[in-house]
Amino acid sequence: MIEFVGIFVYFIIALALSLILVGVSFVFATKKSDPEKISAYECGFDPFDDARSRFDIQFYLVAILFIIFDLEVTFLFPWALTLNQVGFFGFWSMMIFLIILTIGFIYEWRKGALDWS
Amino acid sequence: MVFNIHDDSLITLSTTYKTFLFDNDFQSLLPEIFLITAGIFLVVYGVIFSTSKDKNYPLLLTNISWLSLLACVFTFLLLVNSPVQNALLFYNTLVIDDFTTFIKGLILFSTFCCIFMSLDYIKQESLNAFETIILLVLSTCGMLFLVSSADFISLYLAIEAQSLCFYVVAALKRNSEFSTEAGLKYFLLGAFSSGLLLFGCSLIYGFTGVTNFSELGRIFTGGTQEILTSTTALPACELGMVFLLVGFLFKITAVPFHMWSPDVYEGAPTPITAFFLIVPKAALFGVFLRIFFESFYDFILPWQKILLVSSIGSMILGSVAALSQTRIKRLLAYSSIGHVGYLLAGFACGTIEGIQALMIYLFVYVFMNINMFAFLLCGMRREHLQTVPRMKYISDLAYLAKTNPILALTFTITMFSMAGIPPLAGFYSKAYLFFAAMSSNLYVLAIIGVLCSVLSCFYYIRLVKIMYFEGPKNWCSFTRVPLENAITLAITLFFILFFMLYPTPLHLITHKIALTLCL
Repeated sequence: MIEFVGIFVYFIIALALSLILVGVSFVFATKKSDPEKISAYECGFDPFDDARSRFDIQFYLVAILFIIFDLEVTFLFPWALTLNQVGFFGFWSMMIFLIILTIGFIYEWRKGALDWS
Repeated sequence: MVFNIHDDSLITLSTTYKTFLFDNDFQSLLPEIFLITAGIFLVVYGVIFSTSKDKNYPLLLTNISWLSLLACVFTFLLLVNSPVQNALLFYNTLVIDDFTTFIKGLILFSTFCCIFMSLDYIKQESLNAFETIILLVLSTCGMLFLVSSADFISLYLAIEAQSLCFYVVAALKRNSEFSTEAGLKYFLLGAFSSGLLLFGCSLIYGFTGVTNFSELGRIFTGGTQEILTSTTALPACELGMVFLLVGFLFKITAVPFHMWSPDVYEGAPTPITAFFLIVPKAALFGVFLRIFFESFYDFILPWQKILLVSSIGSMILGSVAALSQTRIKRLLAYSSIGHVGYLLAGFACGTIEGIQALMIYLFVYVFMNINMFAFLLCGMRREHLQTVPRMKYISDLAYLAKTNPILALTFTITMFSMAGIPPLAGFYSKAYLFFAAMSSNLYVLAIIGVLCSVLSCFYYIRLVKIMYFEGPKNWCSFTRVPLENAITLAITLFFILFFMLYPTPLHLITHKIALTLCL
């Protein structure tokens, strides 16, 4: 656990440094806002329509797939480290797990969840 | 053979020991493994062919339903012909004995019937997602594991495996608001109840360091273990047990925790409702009977009280709330809450006779509900609204006795059986249950049960009255009964009618499995 102290200190220093960098420009830069400057930028034109639009379901699909395969990786970490101890039994157990996940992946692939066209 | 699996110098030997150990385990879990493999094969088969351009994107639902039915049959055969009858598997996380075999058989049978009788309905309603049936098969597999589980971890994993499939299929009809609402409600309440269950498990594990049912039983026996009584561990374990019980009551929709079930049962598509109503009850009762009789039998005073309250509440609510329902599926939901009350009465007895009565009741309940839903899933045509091919209100039953007398008669008999009218199976199971309650001195329970049963006759028989004596407000007629539904109706009706003539086999089997559980 003691090695995390270094990371914690590093984290605090990084936070302080980034705050300083933001703050410095806040203190020294000239601030003069006018309507042209603070309006939304849409390639120079005024905004055409409402900012609220339908959200593409693809993003959800990608997020869900990411969660699933991220979990897969968390299961793979301890297996990779202990592979010399668990032997062929452990190896094949993980292979079965991976096969099941791969079948899920095939399902997604064929269903077109990964198509972005 | 060297059995030391922790020694590093013995890695190879220990590996062979492990594989040797699991060789037998895989053999005795063959039914479950087969069902999972079949489900996976069906997923691959379905997705490859349903998205294939050469085949013109075929709808594979019927095809996959039949294949799943075949898988259910084969699993049943594997289960019945299993070479191992009694075993503890996978480091004591799963158990196989006569009890699990019986419940698994019941689960497979009811899954088979649920899919079989909704074949035509699904086609008519064009619920074309083939994944539905595969999810039902996979949830059945989860339930098989659930019944077998002998450890809190496998219990929880199996419960989640089955309920995750349920959440998906409840929200099957994406374009129907009711269905999405049902899916969402079911998901929230299901997750909440699983959380309660898990908290109960963690309390018990935290205070005993054990998750295995039989080891817990050994710890709690007598309730006087010094380590437990000298600290606060015993009351904490009791609290954990109460949390487990509450989670269980949530899942089986018993009374204080029933509020989600009418909405979910009403909103979900009818085949799915049938599945929810019939199949998980058997699995949940199976595993929780095991927990409470094996691990927590020494806590019987608290759990019996809770179960008594819940049972009486369910019976009363099931009979009173169903009186005012106009939609048939809501009515059935409340009627199933009432049935859960009767089942819990058997549970609350805490005796071998109680378990036996519960098992008989469960068996008959499954048959009666399959019959009921085989009736509801028959095609129907409305005069004024051709597009709705299903029965929604109980007034739609009107005039059925003229348009389809045999179907009306079948439904009448099932209703009489549900109400508990003498020469039918429903009467037998209820009577046996009340005898069990009386013989364990639960007189109040038995009396309230009989009174509620009388009260529930009213709405069951009202349906019969609507069929035979009331003119229709708007004309509805059933289409020709599909062959599958006809077969299911015939078989279950035969059982309901003639069960009283020869109840011996069921008695023997249930007695045997009750002994398995208690001894």
